[in-house]
Amino acid sequence: MTPRPRILIVDDDDGIRTTLEQHLVVHGFDVVVARDGIEGMELFTSMQPDLVLSDLAMPRADGFELIRRIRATSETPIVVLSVRGGDVDKVRALDLGADDFVVKPFSTPELLARVRAQLRRSRIALRNQMEFPDLSIDLEKRKVVQGGREVRLTPTELSILDLLARHAGRPVSFNEIIATVWKGAQGTSNDTVRVHVGALRRKLEPDSSNPQYIVTEPWIGFRFIAEPV
Amino acid sequence: MRNIGRAVAAQLIVFAVTYGALRLRTNAATAGFAFLITILGIAVMTDLATALISSVVATLCYNYFFFPPIGTFTIEEPANWAALISFFIASLVASRLVLRARTQAEHAEARRREVEALYALSIDLFTATNRVGALGEAATRALSNAGAHGGGLVLFGNGVYDQRVLSWSGPKGDEVEDLVGGAGRHKRTLEIPAPFGRDVYLPLNIGGKVVGVLAARGTTATLRALESAATLVALAVERERFLAESAHMQALREGDALKTSLLRAVSHDLSTPLTAVALQIERLRSIVDGPAAATVDEIAEHTGRLRRRIENLLAMARLEARNVVPRPEPTPAADLFRAVREHLPLVVRNRQIEVRVAADCPDVFVDPSLALEILANLIENAHQASPIETTIELCAYRHPLDPEQVRLEVSDRGPGLATGAAETSDTPRRGLGLEIARSLGNASGGNVTLANRTGGGAIARIDLPVAHLPAVDEVPA
Repeated sequence: MTPRPRILIVDDDDGIRTTLEQHLVVHGFDVVVARDGIEGMELFTSMQPDLVLSDLAMPRADGFELIRRIRATSETPIVVLSVRGGDVDKVRALDLGADDFVVKPFSTPELLARVRAQLRRSRIALRNQMEFPDLSIDLEKRKVVQGGREVRLTPTELSILDLLARHAGRPVSFNEIIATVWKGAQGTSNDTVRVHVGALRRKLEPDSSNPQYIVTEPWIGFRFIAEPV
Repeated sequence: MRNIGRAVAAQLIVFAVTYGALRLRTNAATAGFAFLITILGIAVMTDLATALISSVVATLCYNYFFFPPIGTFTIEEPANWAALISFFIASLVASRLVLRARTQAEHAEARRREVEALYALSIDLFTATNRVGALGEAATRALSNAGAHGGGLVLFGNGVYDQRVLSWSGPKGDEVEDLVGGAGRHKRTLEIPAPFGRDVYLPLNIGGKVVGVLAARGTTATLRALESAATLVALAVERERFLAESAHMQALREGDALKTSLLRAVSHDLSTPLTAVALQIERLRSIVDGPAAATVDEIAEHTGRLRRRIENLLAMARLEARNVVPRPEPTPAADLFRAVREHLPLVVRNRQIEVRVAADCPDVFVDPSLALEILANLIENAHQASPIETTIELCAYRHPLDPEQVRLEVSDRGPGLATGAAETSDTPRRGLGLEIARSLGNASGGNVTLANRTGGGAIARIDLPVAHLPAVDEVPA
């Protein structure tokens, strides 16, 4: 029997903590809860969770401090709970090493999708063949097939698709894309990335009005939204 | 009168020296030296005219009493002529030199006093201008040091006749306002003769703009010293204005910081319980059915609307508090439509929503958060206004008349707008949501309008600027 993934919830609000715990337990997760960053770090060390779900604004050590401490020793996925309008906080949390965020007030399906995407991450990170609904990516053969038709991509587009698909469900920042695809080449701007991603989307998306694979993540970069098959 | 007395006294001294020389029976050479020293002394003590008169008198006495024939103004021996002329020239030159040296010493002393006064003024002005009234006191002291018998500092508000008297001493007649205004308008120093010297009106010029006038009345100080004092006062006025602005900016910054922390706290304190409520509602929905489920849906819908209003108000408060400024970036319209549908799950669950983005529709240059709020408000309005079985359509295309704009549309099949309401006012059902959408639209550099739709219903249009992206070379695969 597969062990249940363990999630550490760190939030100073009793209501959120309790409700989240109930929801996650119902959906098949083991849950441990902490009230602030210091208690969270203690539980992280003793319980070794598979994922951390943390608020940002907390008494004593806040969410940023917790991310910093966890990232000093571990690569465990961290999803932060941010408030709307806290874009600066989101970017700061991602820069410190958080993997994703959900904006309060969020819905359960949204949260579960983010949690599952992060838990899946390590399993697809090393593959050369990736399968998504109506989309297969074979990096060895440099072949992309969408809805039965082969999509011809430029090397740059393929590199971007590779990077985004490997991190499916997670926001990938402009800086990360420039560092990986352009090897950090100077003069590559966010707009350059936007142009290439725009071209990739036009080739990949069967319906430009309803994107199924790649969407923009405001001020951060892009997110591959399809779930691997 | 005083000068005449001094001249007479000088001649008496010459006569006394003559008398003394005669009594002592000195020879002509000794008497000549005695006269020369006397003339030098007189030159040191008196003015040029007295020294010159004394030289002439001494020469005559010298000739009369010491050159043969004694007792006459004639000279027998030509050598004595030479001696007498030499004496006269020597006494004149010596007098002149002594007087010039004394004048230079007096000028140097006057300049020293002026520099000291300016230094004291600069210390007064630049160490105490953050104290109320210090500028006026310093200007009064500067005028006093310049030997002025009155005057003061007048600053201009809106124009040269909007005058604020910062300090004034002595009488101030009606003509002063005109003189001060004249000096300010012409940006030139006015000098007017007065009983104790002259009245000087000095414009305080900062970067070509006259901020006030320093009036020195009844002064004998040099124009250069007065202009230097005026320059210092002008700098101090500018500095005081800068300090006041700086204090104002500091207060604004502190106010903004307070607003920021308040907004952050309010945002957190409202979002957190709402999240808990939303999660509990979802939990309730999973465990109840029948009529209770419908009630839960209703609670969820009202909660969702409350959440949206709070988000709207926070977004507007942030904009108003300058806590955030819109951060536009190139955004595909399809992503905005997708995000807004995710944002309104209850509307999407119960309603058919059709999305159409034209193939050639460029990205929009907009703050994505604001665009999301605008669209969410317009879609909620459309949802409330139209029957549940009808479709809400979301469209995006390049503006047909202005290629630099993208038009986003939210169309419904509701009752539309009352006659004459289009583009101007709103039906009550669309009130707050549309107002918020309009405010946020303006903040985004866009424009939100409402019109009746052909075939029934209403169309809300948002015109936003096109995003310009660079041309990039692509290498074919």
